[in-house]
Amino acid sequence: MAQSALLTGVEFTLDGNLPELERLADEVAWFCEENALGSEAEFDLNLALEELFTNAIRHGGCEGMKNAVRIRLERSGDLLAAEFADRGREFDPATAPAPDVSANLAGRPPGGLGLHLVRSVMSDVQYQRRGDWNWITMRRPA
Amino acid sequence: MIELKTETRAGWCVVAIRGRADAETADELEAALRAAVAQHPKVAADFAGLDYISSAGLRAVLQAARAAQAANAEFAACQLRGSVKRVFDVSGMQHVLRIDENLPC
Repeated sequence: MAQSALLTGVEFTLDGNLPELERLADEVAWFCEENALGSEAEFDLNLALEELFTNAIRHGGCEGMKNAVRIRLERSGDLLAAEFADRGREFDPATAPAPDVSANLAGRPPGGLGLHLVRSVMSDVQYQRRGDWNWITMRRPA
Repeated sequence: MIELKTETRAGWCVVAIRGRADAETADELEAALRAAVAQHPKVAADFAGLDYISSAGLRAVLQAARAAQAANAEFAACQLRGSVKRVFDVSGMQHVLRIDENLPC
């Protein structure tokens, strides 16, 4: 039982630099292949995890940090669960204001879409501060 | 990895974008689109070959749209497909720039 659960999950760490996005994409691709997940699920996992990762680097102070981020992906039945933890400054994504996506070009600030995209593709996004770690859990149908 | 190919046909400068538009490749994308907008009055960004885009990629497109507006150039995002289109839609990009189902030329 424990062994079959292992096969459906993957856990890895990323250093705090942007080239790690390639490794993130490779890990997500491997997880999706192992679990026979479609390209839309793979896209959404990539998107949510990239947004959280780049936020941690650019705003959380994780730039240049070794093992800055720990990610865990798991499939249980028809649900995908993702955990994202970073050692950056304390930050609850729920406190970020929602962007106005009906604004025209002049009304668009340069940023602010990242967390909106996370919430668009994942459900049940939960945050906890655990010691030195920001800890985010989220789900998506498999 | 992102692959950018620019060519001119029928009065339009077409920038064909392939691969991934993420935080690592967004600067390259923005530079190619800005260069096109600076040199041509009509620019079409062709997204048919794009597999992935994140907010960093969207930002590059937004910045190009701003540059086009400032230069009085026409700028259209064309051939959005699948999940890439979904990301444009949930971000309300249709309120910000011209989006065409097909290439204008």
